Amino acid sequence: MDFTEPPEVTRFRAELRDWLAREASAAPGRASYEPDEGLARTQLWYRALAQAGYVGVSLPVEYGGRGLPDSYEAVINEELAAAQAPPPPPIGHIAHAIADFASDELKRRTLPGLLGCTASWCQGFSEPGAGSDLASLTTSAVHQGDAFVVNGQKIWTSGAMWARWCLLLVRTETDQPKHRGLSMLVVDMASPGIDRREITLATGNREFAEVFFDGVQVPRANLVGQRGQGWQIAMHMLTYERGPADMGWVGRLGHVLGTAVDTVRSAGSQADEQLRRRLASSMVDVQVLQWHVTRSLANRNPAAPGSGGSLDKLLATRVEQRLHHVLADLADAAFVLEDRPFADYVWSRAQSVYGGTQQIQRRIVAQRLLGLPRG
Amino acid sequence: VTIDLDAEQRAFRDACGKLAADLAGSWRLGRGPDEVAPPQPSAPDWSRMADIGWFGLRLREENGGAGADAVYTGLLVEELARHALPAPVLGTLIAAEQLQAHGAAPELLGSIAAGSVRVAPLLRPDLSWFAAGPDALAWDSADADFAVSVGDGAAHLLGEPVGGIDLTRSIRPPLPEPPGSPQEVGCRPISAADQDRLAAFALAMLTADLLGTMEAAHAAAVDYARTRTQFGVPIGSFEAIADLAADGLVLVEATRSAMWYATWSVDALAPPDALRAARMAKAFASRAAVEVCEGAVQIFGGIGFTWEFPAHVWLRRAHASRRVFGDEHRQESLLAAQTFEVR
Repeated sequence: MDFTEPPEVTRFRAELRDWLAREASAAPGRASYEPDEGLARTQLWYRALAQAGYVGVSLPVEYGGRGLPDSYEAVINEELAAAQAPPPPPIGHIAHAIADFASDELKRRTLPGLLGCTASWCQGFSEPGAGSDLASLTTSAVHQGDAFVVNGQKIWTSGAMWARWCLLLVRTETDQPKHRGLSMLVVDMASPGIDRREITLATGNREFAEVFFDGVQVPRANLVGQRGQGWQIAMHMLTYERGPADMGWVGRLGHVLGTAVDTVRSAGSQADEQLRRRLASSMVDVQVLQWHVTRSLANRNPAAPGSGGSLDKLLATRVEQRLHHVLADLADAAFVLEDRPFADYVWSRAQSVYGGTQQIQRRIVAQRLLGLPRG
Repeated sequence: VTIDLDAEQRAFRDACGKLAADLAGSWRLGRGPDEVAPPQPSAPDWSRMADIGWFGLRLREENGGAGADAVYTGLLVEELARHALPAPVLGTLIAAEQLQAHGAAPELLGSIAAGSVRVAPLLRPDLSWFAAGPDALAWDSADADFAVSVGDGAAHLLGEPVGGIDLTRSIRPPLPEPPGSPQEVGCRPISAADQDRLAAFALAMLTADLLGTMEAAHAAAVDYARTRTQFGVPIGSFEAIADLAADGLVLVEATRSAMWYATWSVDALAPPDALRAARMAKAFASRAAVEVCEGAVQIFGGIGFTWEFPAHVWLRRAHASRRVFGDEHRQESLLAAQTFEVR
């Protein structure tokens, strides 16, 4: 057991640090997914990060990645946080779905744009009638000639308003049990028959949308993997969506914590002894999460990432929500007089919902990692 | 590069666990406080522990030890805790480390390694750190011959145990000194760096102790949830129980990551960095161990708060180890001071 950083990782870290020292001033203060100039600035920053070679580094070289071990993703998270820059774009899960299951042609067509951050993506999973019970979804895709014809509705779709592509989970095999009847499609969001409606979040952000599909034609070549393989791909994706480094969680927490520490350090901070101690307690939490993620990523089998991501997400959620209770109290009266601190806090509550609720993650941990019987 | 135990570390851990289980098997909890056996191993048992090399594990070779790094002592301490072994091994390891750091004579250290001299660390009355003054308690000191105050090198004889919640470890006060004593063992002051390294070691070992304790409680509770039936089904099939068990595993695995990092850092990082890591690990483990043991008590239901069932033994150990060398509040206070105080 050795936490010593290999020299090649230290070199990588140093190069990234140099790059950030030159470029981090272009970073937005925080990632914004509002359809406004904040979004444009965030996308420009992601593109710069991608051009410098720091997006999707664990993906294969031939598709725009660098073929590096997963642990490099954690290094990028840490360094972006240390530079007080937003975390890397949250695309690891989509990239893995494509890279690990799609045809070579589809990979070549889509991955460079995804990893280059020149085309933005959304993920069409949840439906009004299918949240935690995702496999009961009803959006259908019927194979006709050289295309699938898609009808149905998705909801809570992050980034759908400006996405160029959608990774869409649909029902294709109506004669199969629900988990075996699903397939994964790559859908061009400019296709006729797609209607998007913005949903405003409780934070005030306009990042969500519902998406309606009315006879949308999707080329057969845009099927990811095989027909009926949709559930397997979705679960594979979710193991990455639940990995705290793949989605930039560790970086985001480090960023938020660093800002709070700087605020308390700055002259004139009113934080009393008790608040300082609670913030130190969150420093402990975030540090332990970082050690844990370092261990998880070093040991993860890329061929079968497994259920450990659920455990890691439960830990990340716990750490983040505890931190935001401290931040709310640090903000003092501003927490009720201003919008920003409350919006950040509300978003921390979403951590235990998206990517599979805390309750679903606990189910996975209890049944698959602890071997407890199903209810 | 994976971050996991290597084959040798695994084999060492398994061997420690095997002996710890065997030794712990002869201890009797009894049916109540009057029947519990004291945490004093028999002379033959003490010899077995000495023979396998536990007491000298980390002492340098010139001091009669094996010179192992702190990852190994951490694995030993975790296994001792997993079996709640009522024998003062952790106290011995910490006292030996402290004496070695302070340059105690190789003869004394060699005797400790061989099991012929028994020592314990001298802590403040609130157990929050090594004692600096005369007001002190010797922790995990069952059958210890003496405890050394390293400031003046005085070896203090110890009185009867003072009681306390931890059934598996004794706490004893130094005896009033008769004229002409105490015996001197020859200690020298140490550098700030050596102090930090010693502190990191102590905190990392208590983290390992907390990890082993919470693992034992958690594993037993999960086993129970698989087999205990109510309403015609195993209780582990109820979400309310499964959630407690799942959250427990999250804390166990996070604490393992922290324990591995902290024990590795004792010998691999600069002393101030190792100390900071160990402080963080101890803070996290202190909070987590109590939560996990409380969850286990809940899963056990009625049997969980009976004397004859070991759930309270684990809960007692978790609370005791949480306090020893400072609980999470103390660690976080010190971290806050280090982080926020204007320098």
